[in-house]
Amino acid sequence: MSDARTPTKNDFFLRAENITKVYSDGTVALKEASLEIHPHEIIGLLGENGAGKTTLTKILSGLLPPTRGRVISPKGVVRFSSPREALDFGIGMVHQHFALVGTFTAAENVALGFERPFSLLRLAKTIEDLKALMEESGLQIPLDVPVEKLAVGEQQRVEVLKVLSRDVDLLILDEPTSVLTPLEVDELFILLRRLRDAGKSIILITHKLKEVQDITDRIVVLRQGEMVGDVKTSDATTERLAQLMVGQAEGMDAVELSDSELPVRRVLKPVDRSKKSILHVEHLTARGNTGDIAVDDVSFDIHGGEIFGIAGVEGNGQTELVESLTGLRVPTAGTATINGINILGIDPRQIYKLGVAHIPEDRWELGLVLPFTLAENAILGVHRWKEFRGHFSVLKWGKINQHVRELMDRFEIRASGPSAPAKSLSGGNQQKLIVGRELAKDPAIIVAAQPTRGLDIGSAHYIRQTLVDMREKGRAILLVSADLDEVLAHADRVAIMYEGRFMDVCSPEDLDRKKVGMLMGGVTAAKETA
Amino acid sequence: MSIKETQQQSRLLRGVHRTLTGLHPALESLIAALVGLLVGAILMAVWGYDPWKAYIALLQGAYGGSYEWASSLTRATPLILTALTFSICLRAGMFNIGAEGQLFMGATAAICISFFALPPGLHHIVGLLFAAIAGAAWSLVPAALKIMRGVSEVISTIMFNWIAKWLALYLAIYVLVDPIRAEKTVSIPLSARFPLLVARTDLSYGIFVSVAFALVIYFLLWHTATGYELRAAGLNPAAARYGGIPNKRTMFLSFILGGIAAGLAGATIVMGLPPTYAIYGGGGLPQLVNMGFDGMAVAMVGRNHPLGIIIAAIFFGGLNAGGRVMQFYGSSPVPLEMVRVVMGAIVIAMSIPELIRVFPIVATGSRNLLRALRGNRKEESA
Repeated sequence: MSDARTPTKNDFFLRAENITKVYSDGTVALKEASLEIHPHEIIGLLGENGAGKTTLTKILSGLLPPTRGRVISPKGVVRFSSPREALDFGIGMVHQHFALVGTFTAAENVALGFERPFSLLRLAKTIEDLKALMEESGLQIPLDVPVEKLAVGEQQRVEVLKVLSRDVDLLILDEPTSVLTPLEVDELFILLRRLRDAGKSIILITHKLKEVQDITDRIVVLRQGEMVGDVKTSDATTERLAQLMVGQAEGMDAVELSDSELPVRRVLKPVDRSKKSILHVEHLTARGNTGDIAVDDVSFDIHGGEIFGIAGVEGNGQTELVESLTGLRVPTAGTATINGINILGIDPRQIYKLGVAHIPEDRWELGLVLPFTLAENAILGVHRWKEFRGHFSVLKWGKINQHVRELMDRFEIRASGPSAPAKSLSGGNQQKLIVGRELAKDPAIIVAAQPTRGLDIGSAHYIRQTLVDMREKGRAILLVSADLDEVLAHADRVAIMYEGRFMDVCSPEDLDRKKVGMLMGGVTAAKETA
Repeated sequence: MSIKETQQQSRLLRGVHRTLTGLHPALESLIAALVGLLVGAILMAVWGYDPWKAYIALLQGAYGGSYEWASSLTRATPLILTALTFSICLRAGMFNIGAEGQLFMGATAAICISFFALPPGLHHIVGLLFAAIAGAAWSLVPAALKIMRGVSEVISTIMFNWIAKWLALYLAIYVLVDPIRAEKTVSIPLSARFPLLVARTDLSYGIFVSVAFALVIYFLLWHTATGYELRAAGLNPAAARYGGIPNKRTMFLSFILGGIAAGLAGATIVMGLPPTYAIYGGGGLPQLVNMGFDGMAVAMVGRNHPLGIIIAAIFFGGLNAGGRVMQFYGSSPVPLEMVRVVMGAIVIAMSIPELIRVFPIVATGSRNLLRALRGNRKEESA
């Protein structure tokens, strides 16, 4: 940001000129977008889902050809026919949905990128390099465990390391911080600044206004495929950015922050704790995929009309806890009951019958059958209901389609109709479909794991509001999220999970950012004073 | 070739690929069929036959009149069913290659009904039931191995095909053998034969068994909760489990349904194919062999959809029926083997969109190899 680094016109690394992208189905994803990328700079790419951020970065990184316009470097027009050519040119991208081989270890996944046809696999050297890189970047991952056994957060760190290890000049990161602790975000930002000072260019796709203002030198805002702003970060205000992004004046930021940097809590009906709790969990212990203890002696209660939040960095047992409570994992010890009925180790179908709705963490792997239509996805898990299934197991498509149209109305799912394939929907609409489906079960308990991850502000806001509405209707809600502000703003009680244990369970009012950050990193108040 | 040229070329190929994969599946199948016929034509030309005349003969032999249509449909009858075997399992996420063996067992079981007398109608039903049960039973072991021990169904079904073949041969030669004509088994009695649909052809009412079963499967897959579960488990087992769908049950069900289809295919042959209504042990089960494997090709061309399969089976049946005419045609007849070449070419052509995707990778690979070699040479000279 200092004048010494201010780039001159000539020393750009890459320039996208008047890029227009029209997909084969006629969707205009980008309209005449131009972007100049210089060395020594971090660019923040802001925009809602469907604004064209991903399309723009895909064009830059060689995954998509532009319909019109060109990408030029000082040496001339650049065209990539594959991401690998882009990598060789010096452009690397970390995607939101990871491109990892599940059965390979982290080291093997990184080595895979180096591999060329007919060349030797340099695994030993890769491990050596990776260790040095992990030392330098502060991102720690186990190198010798198949990545499918790592949590989503850890997998993302593998992706970041994978691209960093490729010695790129332009690094594109799609929502990189959504699964990191505040401390790790700081470390990542230190790394990014170091890379910038070394002359690299970085594009950061994010929804988080605070983050983008913290780290970037320049902020580019996209709205509905059009570039609506290209401002120096020092000149940008939060209100202005939000307005550019959403296209309206009112601040629709995910969570309002008060002066103390804590989210503003909306006034909520107090929880009635005189009644018996709906979900009762005692001494729950479960093993992870690696066989290690992932959930370690966890106990809690959730009452009707309460949101119980679990914060923490991903990979600290949240996934296994949710899976144990929804019938997808058999715990090793402990009890869990819903209104007195045991739910551990029984079939997911039986659990749904007890009134559990599950908004899963991985909406592509678990929540949806992507090639299925909207209607087919809307009945997943409820396809044996009497309303949908008649004699001889015959599905009543008429009623199902009618139900789907109601869902589309009620949950503002934008799609061409019940027979649109689920994969054609945007991330926000896919998640709304899942939320709609689960809430249609009229559940007593809603288990929501990372319900707003990767969603645009509008969709995220809508889903949070829906959860709050369900709370007001007396439902019990378990909200597991890596987004700390989301948990602090909505939960009545917050548990901070670290290495399978609850570090602390308390009301969000009793927490401050520093304390939460320490708890998420495994530092208890007692240890601190000691 | 410069890098730029290679780039342009791979871009062209990618464009072609996108065009091809963007096609409607039915159109893709049609193009594959045309490519297969084209390859056959080229080969015929190379070997000195007149492809034009040969194909006219083939076409006339397949669909030139009611007799020809009847004979094509006859050949389509078992193919519809064996294709369904493959498709049902594929829809459930498994690669069942066992139609061949299940068909042998179904045919053998159907022959068994020759040993008792029942009124017509009932005798037909019992025959079909025998065949269906035998086919399903034969798929039971691979299914159980898969579900309980995770044994790959590809391996186990292939193994079971061989066991079935030799078992069927043994039974045909030593147990069910016709005491008067030792080269074949006893014939199905009149009371259990499917009557001919068109007189003086070999098309029997057996075709209705095939078509009806295809329609039942279509209805099952897309209009019942059971079929919905089967397809969900096939497309995304994790999401199916999340949705409370027991994967083991859908696997089991798909294998059983597949076994029933293949068993029925065996029954339509022995109960519906004149003149012998029996299995020939001599010559190694000539009417039955390859029906299961051809069914897989039909399933591919039919895009694993019951209605597509019916059309694809009529096409493949036509090739078989017309091929026989082609080999008697004119002064230089084309051997029947050429028809099998065409069939093979069609199956390969079905994967052309995928093949084209591979070309840029091969191009990049060879470019890197060249670059690496050149690099080594430089190092050596330095």
